[in-house]
Amino acid sequence: MNDRSAFGRALRPLIAASLAGVLMLVGACASAPLRPDSALDGARVAISNADKAGAGQYANAELAEARARLTLADNAVRVEDMVMAERYARESQVQAELASARTAAAKAEAVNRDIERGTEAMIEEMKRAGDQR
Amino acid sequence: MNNLFRNHASYATALTIAAGVGLTLAGCATAPISPEGSADVRAKLTQLQSDPALATNAPAAIREAEAAVRTAEEPLAAADASLGTHRVYIADRKVEIAMAQAATKQAELQRVKLGEERERARLAARTREADAAHAEADATRAAAAGAATQAALQAEDMQRQIDALQAKATERGIVLTLGDVLFTSGRADLKVGAAGNLDRLVAFLDQNPDRRVVIEGHTDNVGSDDSNLGLSQRRADSVKSFLVQRGIAAERIVASGKGEHQPVADNQSEGGRQQNRRVEVIIENPAPVAETT
Repeated sequence: MNDRSAFGRALRPLIAASLAGVLMLVGACASAPLRPDSALDGARVAISNADKAGAGQYANAELAEARARLTLADNAVRVEDMVMAERYARESQVQAELASARTAAAKAEAVNRDIERGTEAMIEEMKRAGDQR
Repeated sequence: MNNLFRNHASYATALTIAAGVGLTLAGCATAPISPEGSADVRAKLTQLQSDPALATNAPAAIREAEAAVRTAEEPLAAADASLGTHRVYIADRKVEIAMAQAATKQAELQRVKLGEERERARLAARTREADAAHAEADATRAAAAGAATQAALQAEDMQRQIDALQAKATERGIVLTLGDVLFTSGRADLKVGAAGNLDRLVAFLDQNPDRRVVIEGHTDNVGSDDSNLGLSQRRADSVKSFLVQRGIAAERIVASGKGEHQPVADNQSEGGRQQNRRVEVIIENPAPVAETT
């Protein structure tokens, strides 16, 4: 009896320690991130927007990388590495936004080139008409 | 036995504490540093910010990039290297986005200037075209007849010419009334000064080779009907021969004397008779051309 209570007393710190350990584990589980749905959605939307804007033509490499990052994010979800999944998803989104921005810039510059070419052609044409006379 | 357990217990406790402390220490083992690559991103952003033309073009994107770069620069423990890599990646793309947006805006701003340049060139081209069209028209109208652009110019020209002739556009065509300024009373030969009045008509017919003209002579009721008919015919013929002399094809001209039968005013008064003594030149509307589509 005596032995038992002594044994119990001796165990107490052990119990406390393991309790703390369990609590820590539980705590770790509680803060373990869920699937980063909003980040994944953000990436998908950004990719779709870039695609619609014509990134396939003007910023294909950027768009491809955004898609690759989204694949990495999906893979991370599959192995339940939600931290990496969220990072990849955010990288995918910002990369897709870059694809869109570069597409817009390329388009704007293309329009300017067209205008310039038109003006040059007109001046050329005028010179030729002038030479004929 | 008791002691043994107690020793074990305290050993376990010590171990737990030691492990905890160890973990904490491990965290501090290496001094946190800014992640690799963050300096490069900062340099890129600084370069964008120091370009005065670009920096003002995308203020919001640059602010966002600045925040991302600052996050990327936060010192991290070696254990968090992958977070650092992530942050640098995000910051880098944000800077690139700002650069692209600035470039887009720059292109848009430039477009205004390019548009103005094009407008100037277009204006110059048009002026030149119009000049060329006029020169060509003066040289030979026939050669230019087919050009569509000329057709538009011609329509404009036509109105101006009709105005210059002081003529009226009517259903029969353009009617030009030449008062009795052309002839001396009772005579059918043109007055010396008449040429000036007819020059404009010649110019018009030169420029409109598809137009035919009818020249009608009219008189007042003074004198016999026969003599008036004859006089009006001779006067019409005079005008026709003048035009033929000036190079208008005779086939294009019909001259007819109408005598005193188509007065435009009352023959009772001198003023009315003066109005009735006249030559009307009717420039016929061009024959409707079959649609060619």
